Amino acid sequence: MPDLTIAPSREDCSRMSMSSLPIEHRTLQQACDLIASAQADDGDIFIEQGRAASISLEEGRVKHLASSRKQGVGIRLIRGEACGHACTDRLDAQAILETAKAARAIATGGGCLRPVHIQAAPASARLYPDLDPAASIAWEERKRLLERIDELARSLDPRIVQVFASLAFSFSDIHIIRWNGEWFHDRRPLVRLNVSVIAEEKGRRETGSAGGGGRFPLMELVEIGRAEHYVREAVRLALLNLEAREAPAGAMPVVLGPGWPGILLHEAVGHGLEGDFNRKGTSVFAGRIGKRVAAPGVTVIDDGTLPRRRGSLNMDDEGSPTQRTVLIEDGILTGYLLDRQNARLMGMESTGNGRRESYADPVLPRMTNTFMLAGKDDPSSIVSSLKRGIYAVNFGGGQVDITSGKFVFTTSEAYYVEKGQIQFPVRGATLIGSGHKVLKKVSMIGNDLALDPGVGTCGKAGQNVPVGVGLPTIRIDELVVGGTKVQ
Amino acid sequence: MSPEPATYADARKQLTGLAIQAVELAQQFGAYASDAMIIASDDTSICVRRGMVESIERQENHGVGLRVFVMTPSGPSFATASTDDLSDQGLRELAKQTLAMARIATADPDAVPPVGAEHPDAECLRQWEHSHPLQSPWDLDRAKEAALQCEEAALAHPGITNSDGAESSFGLHHIAYASSDGFAGSYSRSEAALAISVIAGRNETMQRDHSWHRAPNKRMLRNPSDLGREAAERAVRRLGASPIDSCALPVIFEPRTATTLGSHLLSAINGRAVLQQRSFLADKLHQHIFPSFVNIEDQPDHPQGLGNRLFDGEGTRCRACKLVENGRLNMFLADRYAAKRLKQAALGHARRGLTGDIGVSPSNLIWQPGHASPETIFRQLDHALLITELIGFGVNPTTGDYSRGAAGFLIEKGEISRPVQGITIAGKLPEMFTSISHVGNDLTWFGAMAAPTIAIESMSIAGQS
Repeated sequence: MPDLTIAPSREDCSRMSMSSLPIEHRTLQQACDLIASAQADDGDIFIEQGRAASISLEEGRVKHLASSRKQGVGIRLIRGEACGHACTDRLDAQAILETAKAARAIATGGGCLRPVHIQAAPASARLYPDLDPAASIAWEERKRLLERIDELARSLDPRIVQVFASLAFSFSDIHIIRWNGEWFHDRRPLVRLNVSVIAEEKGRRETGSAGGGGRFPLMELVEIGRAEHYVREAVRLALLNLEAREAPAGAMPVVLGPGWPGILLHEAVGHGLEGDFNRKGTSVFAGRIGKRVAAPGVTVIDDGTLPRRRGSLNMDDEGSPTQRTVLIEDGILTGYLLDRQNARLMGMESTGNGRRESYADPVLPRMTNTFMLAGKDDPSSIVSSLKRGIYAVNFGGGQVDITSGKFVFTTSEAYYVEKGQIQFPVRGATLIGSGHKVLKKVSMIGNDLALDPGVGTCGKAGQNVPVGVGLPTIRIDELVVGGTKVQ
Repeated sequence: MSPEPATYADARKQLTGLAIQAVELAQQFGAYASDAMIIASDDTSICVRRGMVESIERQENHGVGLRVFVMTPSGPSFATASTDDLSDQGLRELAKQTLAMARIATADPDAVPPVGAEHPDAECLRQWEHSHPLQSPWDLDRAKEAALQCEEAALAHPGITNSDGAESSFGLHHIAYASSDGFAGSYSRSEAALAISVIAGRNETMQRDHSWHRAPNKRMLRNPSDLGREAAERAVRRLGASPIDSCALPVIFEPRTATTLGSHLLSAINGRAVLQQRSFLADKLHQHIFPSFVNIEDQPDHPQGLGNRLFDGEGTRCRACKLVENGRLNMFLADRYAAKRLKQAALGHARRGLTGDIGVSPSNLIWQPGHASPETIFRQLDHALLITELIGFGVNPTTGDYSRGAAGFLIEKGEISRPVQGITIAGKLPEMFTSISHVGNDLTWFGAMAAPTIAIESMSIAGQS
């Protein structure tokens, strides 16, 4: 896990001054007064200024460049279980004050007016460079990178008939001013490279994809051979899928490879441990702190403080510092993921997991980087323990119903194993299990914990946020494999 | 029908003016051709849970997306960019930046600049405005009442133990477009929605289900209490669900899950995907991809459709068309670029966000209903699986491989016998399409898609053993 050891950047973080705020100080003061006088439990002003851009290649041409600029203000007011939220994409005084008034719709009436003094809160951790990730590399260079990817992919095998590649990068500048005047600031870079190919043989077409990214300069995707690695990986997967046979259907043991298969944790337990669902009692994990939810040896962590990771943040979207939260320790449920509102209502502390897609969305408790700690088993002995089952190395997306606990995730690279030997690759199949039962069936844990390459996006209530996952090789004694071959 | 408030027409006029300004700036700075789209939206939602207001949200957004073409010796090249800064300075920066990016992109001789599309004429624009008056927004207190009434009816249902909340929402969206060939136009859309999600059972036996209804305006929404009762009944009838043994069975999709089959069809007949061979239907034009009793059309102007539009993202007038006729695939869905390369007519299927390349989508996708009721289909199939919920992303549009998590009910002796969960259904979409055995008479609208009950002869079920 080399990426965990990279030291945080030592960029200058003393840029916080009133002049870096895109809104007049007096206006913010008035907005804070409006929130503070509404007899609420909490409230904040979230100011976002962001730029995002992408460049993509298809059919051998870098045909499309796109960029967007977004700015706006979201004002929240929280009272008990209720939240008033209003937003605007205008930054003038009139728009801000109207927005603050709209957020007050949730409150009962005016309390006493106590002037609020806006003051910078102590700076949080520096987990990523405070620089526009695209600054170091011009459009022409980005274009040449994609062209090289296309050439390389086609040169690797004549069966590669289509290549798609895209670079996406964004930089967002966030100010949060709490109703008591505490002021937080963060600047967040995010980059991502995706390569996808189609291989064709005897009329059969198959796809393969790979990619990665994180919170670091775009240059690093280009420089250190990462791009080439993703191309080779996408080509290998597409060619492998040309050989794939029908997957079996039914319950059987499954071995998951290291890294991105950690999506299992994200779906099976991560969402079910988010504070909102547990406060409302709608999650199958509600009220189970201190109970056994996984086999001994299983420890699951959510950690927003890993430097440069896609799921990491210096602070969450409420200004709380991110942290390492132990969700499951040696099989026992120990914690939930919390934002400020749910923490207060549950008599707990925020774990720094309050996140929103943008200023226009409400804050929800969300995951950051979620992974299982390594065990002691040798990965090859885990695969060879399978008498008849599936060894799944890579996945597409997954989904969960947190109330029944049923979750799914779909293989993109998987093999049928018999008597401990890999037999052949199988076509994409969905695996289904129960979140509150599956981790009790973990019988072997490898010593090879890896985090994913930085491609995960989590969707909840229509909001998408970047996240990470990680897993060592593990054996699950029973999961339902959704193949087409019924025995 | 009451005439719409004059302020809406003013808003549209102002937005159209800004779209024209963005295009004029791009042309001034040296664009060969350009077009701009402006979207302004105003959305409000109120959510109640256990009889109390849980959240009130108000979102006001506007933005402009610009597409700029430059001409090179090897053909046109282009780029897109967007901003929410609609000031003169903001539009200037946008035009300059987009132009600079377009000069870097690689030319494509088939690229189609926004010149000479089949735009709606002035009379057409006037008629649309007259026949689609916008309703004034839902009053927040009335919206709250509707949500409370909806949740109350659900919580009153025996077996319901908890609520995930009920939500009323409403929004207004103005869309304006201008292109450098002189066309400019705008139209508006409104939407109202009511949704509820409730829980039956306790602890490990909990089951949740939901109901929702979206309509072009609040007056067309279903009765809140009926919607609440429906969600409650759906949650309660799932109690005690368990997997079945792995087997092959006929599978019946209720209208709610049948819409997903329409979505899979759409990604496979997307003209851009076809050009890039990312579709299992790429070489199936004019062939039978469904049994002959299947008909599917795209309708850009339907009283219940939330996808109504006068013109698409390239200013092309949207036309109704029969995508699948008597089981035969009549055409691919195409924007002007895909239409040119596929040698089809452009019928107004360009999907456009503020930024990013043009995509492809229909307006309202409608399956033609059949004659049998769902109950008749159950009886005729005798032993089958009824699917009421699907989860996961196990569909590959390139190969047609299909494997998804599912929940629903076992049909035995022609009737619903017990709830099922923890299973997957799998197959290949080309075979699933051709082996549709029944299309029900219960056409149901879900936003911009309408589907009836659909039965498929046989799929692989993975469950216990």
